[in-house]
Amino acid sequence: MIVAEQKTLEEIRRMITPYARVLILGCGTCMTVCDAGGEREVSFLHNALRVAQAKSGNGTHTFSEYTLKRQCDPEFLDVLSDQITDVDTVLSLGCGIGVQAIAERYPDLPVLPGVNTSFMGMAKELGVWDERCAACGDCRLEETAGICPITRCTKGILNGPCAGTKDGKCEANKDMDCAWVLIYKRLERLEQLEKMRRYYPMRNFRAIPRPKRLTSRISVDMGEDNEDNG
Amino acid sequence: MYPLVDDTTREYQANQTKKAPVDHSLIPPCQAACPLHMEIREYVDLVAQGRIMEALQVIRSGNPFPSICAYVCTHPCEEACRRCQVDNPIAIRALKRFALEFGGDRMIQAEAETTHHEKVAIVGSGPAGLACAYYLRELGYPATIFEAHSELGGMLRVGIPQYRLPREVLETEVQRLTQMGVEIRTETRVVSLDLLFDLGYKAIFITIGAHQSLRMGIEGEDSPGVIDGATFLREVNLGLKPSLGKKVAVVGGGNVAIDAARTALRLGVHKVNILYRRSREEMPADPAEIDQALEEGAEILFLVAPTRIRGENGRLCVTCVRMELGEPDASGRRQPIPIKDSDFDHEFDTLITAIGQAPQTPVDFHVSVGRGSTIQVDTVTLTTNRRGVFAGGDAVTGPATVTEALAAGRLAASRIDDYLQHRYPLVSKETRESVSGDLLPETIEMIRKIGRLEPPILPPRKRKKDFKAVELIYDWEVAINEARRCLRCGMGAEILFQDKCATCLTCLRVCPYHVPYLDASGTIQIPDDQCQACGICVAECPAKAIVLRKLYDRRHITEELDYILKSAAQSTVKPLIIGFCCQYGLFGTGTLAGLWRGPGAGTWIVPVLCVAKVEADHILRAFEMGAEGVFIAGCGEQCARENTALWVRQRVEKVRRALAQIGLEPERLQSFILSATRENLAKEIDSFIEQVAGLYLASVITQEVKS
Repeated sequence: MIVAEQKTLEEIRRMITPYARVLILGCGTCMTVCDAGGEREVSFLHNALRVAQAKSGNGTHTFSEYTLKRQCDPEFLDVLSDQITDVDTVLSLGCGIGVQAIAERYPDLPVLPGVNTSFMGMAKELGVWDERCAACGDCRLEETAGICPITRCTKGILNGPCAGTKDGKCEANKDMDCAWVLIYKRLERLEQLEKMRRYYPMRNFRAIPRPKRLTSRISVDMGEDNEDNG
Repeated sequence: MYPLVDDTTREYQANQTKKAPVDHSLIPPCQAACPLHMEIREYVDLVAQGRIMEALQVIRSGNPFPSICAYVCTHPCEEACRRCQVDNPIAIRALKRFALEFGGDRMIQAEAETTHHEKVAIVGSGPAGLACAYYLRELGYPATIFEAHSELGGMLRVGIPQYRLPREVLETEVQRLTQMGVEIRTETRVVSLDLLFDLGYKAIFITIGAHQSLRMGIEGEDSPGVIDGATFLREVNLGLKPSLGKKVAVVGGGNVAIDAARTALRLGVHKVNILYRRSREEMPADPAEIDQALEEGAEILFLVAPTRIRGENGRLCVTCVRMELGEPDASGRRQPIPIKDSDFDHEFDTLITAIGQAPQTPVDFHVSVGRGSTIQVDTVTLTTNRRGVFAGGDAVTGPATVTEALAAGRLAASRIDDYLQHRYPLVSKETRESVSGDLLPETIEMIRKIGRLEPPILPPRKRKKDFKAVELIYDWEVAINEARRCLRCGMGAEILFQDKCATCLTCLRVCPYHVPYLDASGTIQIPDDQCQACGICVAECPAKAIVLRKLYDRRHITEELDYILKSAAQSTVKPLIIGFCCQYGLFGTGTLAGLWRGPGAGTWIVPVLCVAKVEADHILRAFEMGAEGVFIAGCGEQCARENTALWVRQRVEKVRRALAQIGLEPERLQSFILSATRENLAKEIDSFIEQVAGLYLASVITQEVKS
């Protein structure tokens, strides 16, 4: 899941200054789960902005709110068509992808990001998330016992541990586990320690072009069938 | 964080998943156990909020004579109460009595209009007959009660001693029936139903009770000095003072035996022995009554039965035999077996037999009579073998409870209505509803254990002197605290908007009672019979997909805030301060009652189900509406729930941070949680109010300087 945190009220207030009519737009998927931009947070932000305006006494904004099921699919955005004509900007509490999806769908409308999209991760406990994947596009978890050294090792090295490991912790952060010690322990447990002895060649980051595009669609040659049906 | 799930729980979840979709019609076990199906959960909850008048309304709508039940009901609801699984059941009957007394039940007037012309005769004026008359009048039928004795009430009058049911209570209810226009014919024994039909009655309800005492079937039973329990109680209740001598024996273990023994003590008898052939465990009398009888000095000889009575010089020589318990019999109780050669003699002045009663139906009624001389009826329609003749109460069931009789009377009224209107009777709604099941072990473990608070009773020394009511009434605060123990079965949270739910698992993680669970398809379920209705998940759900099942609890706090704004706008007192308070303890018991006077004026209170349900949004909304200060006051250690303070503090902190960024002093928002160390909460709130007033004044001055 994508994890983000809401920007400070100060920053959001600064961003919206030029716009009179602001639509606060939440996202019902990842941003809801990570407490950054679900309906509850949309409503809280909405209220906070109104209180701020009431107390400063010189604001001229009007606010509205809405929470979509998901911002990153254009079909979900269609329900906004009516409201969008009445606003000057959309303050999106979707992740970076959501913000861009709205920008693409409504070319004439300024879109503001309400959250800082941070990483892909999992919940450790209520309200705590840990980064787990860097979306590198070249997964090596089979070799590292299901523990990703790209994200969990500060240096992201493929042949660890480095000399900085001490008592199972990382030299960069004494509170953080050394990913390679974790990998070693888990391989030991799985009786696959021979994987530690292998050498893994460096990945060629330059060979992975951005932006990436994926498809799960399988292209088939319809040939004459296509003409018959069409 | 993630508790290990018990096997019972797993099994439960598997079964729950099978029975889709969510069942909204679960009724609480107390209501299911009540013969009248009273909405106990509703009125107990209203009492807990201090809304006594509304509680009284709920009580009156489900019971024709609640004040009678408040004294004598055997409260099967309390046996069924799910709080039994946690500690002790809610004192439902005592709370009902509290609501009736404090709500002013005596003042309520009854009236009815006659809309039908078919006359109905009711033979017998016991609880079933009175209830039937009450409901027939409500339905608009002219009803006549025929009573053989000089006064109405049946067993309520002649069977139940006054210390259990004061006569003025009965009078008040009878008075209401007269007001409603029920025709009453006392000292009129009905001997023939044909005569009633000839007099123009279109339907007859026979409810003649079970007044005939059963005989023990032993030698010397007819000796002078032997009297049966029903007759004895009747004589005393109708004002006679039978002379009993100094030493009295009562044979039997039911409520009549206990009533007879306690009545005898009140008549000045020195020693009362109750002879019962089984042990205390099998005794059918109400345990509390047994205790009270023992406190008053009655002695119970267990596993003893009389076998022969001889009258000697005006005294009775009773030969008894000792018993031992064998295998359980048809009633499920262990069968007493006489022990050989264990006979012994005992001398008494009087012996009262109370081993059971049966109805005595006149032969000329021509209704078919079954086992134990009871009238045979169809249990669903209450019809007898004669057209237009219905029967109910003890006459049909054998000796039973007052509440069962009231229920029979109510059912009879609606069946007679069906009969007279040529309608086909339908199954009642209650029989179609399912009852909430047992609580799960993890949930029970997390429910705070709070002992049951009993109403005060007269000390034994005082109550033995006369026939005054033994049980007294709760005082306000005790009643509210007792009512708050209710688990509100089936009234908890539900995911109303499954399509909004992002399955973020917040509810599963925040629930203190481990109630929400993930089913096999990966959907979150909040089982309605487990939820404890604290509202934490409602406030924490990031998708706002969860609501509370009860509409009153679901009402939008923002809506409530709007009402307050309207009222506050007319008030000249400044500054405006809004408090979110627990609707039970703090609000219900009136701890904050002084706030609107003196320095606290200008403070408005929003009562909430639980302070843990106050969302950060609500607090901001209060500020937006112009509140200069906001506080949240929870009942803390008094609370029926654990750890609600944590959630309050977290949300307060979140809002305070936002306030700081907006440029408002975070001190304008404060939370107060009652605890042992913070006894004087009202005082603390007072000083908070002063502080806010100071901040308000400062901001007014700054603004004036600026302009």
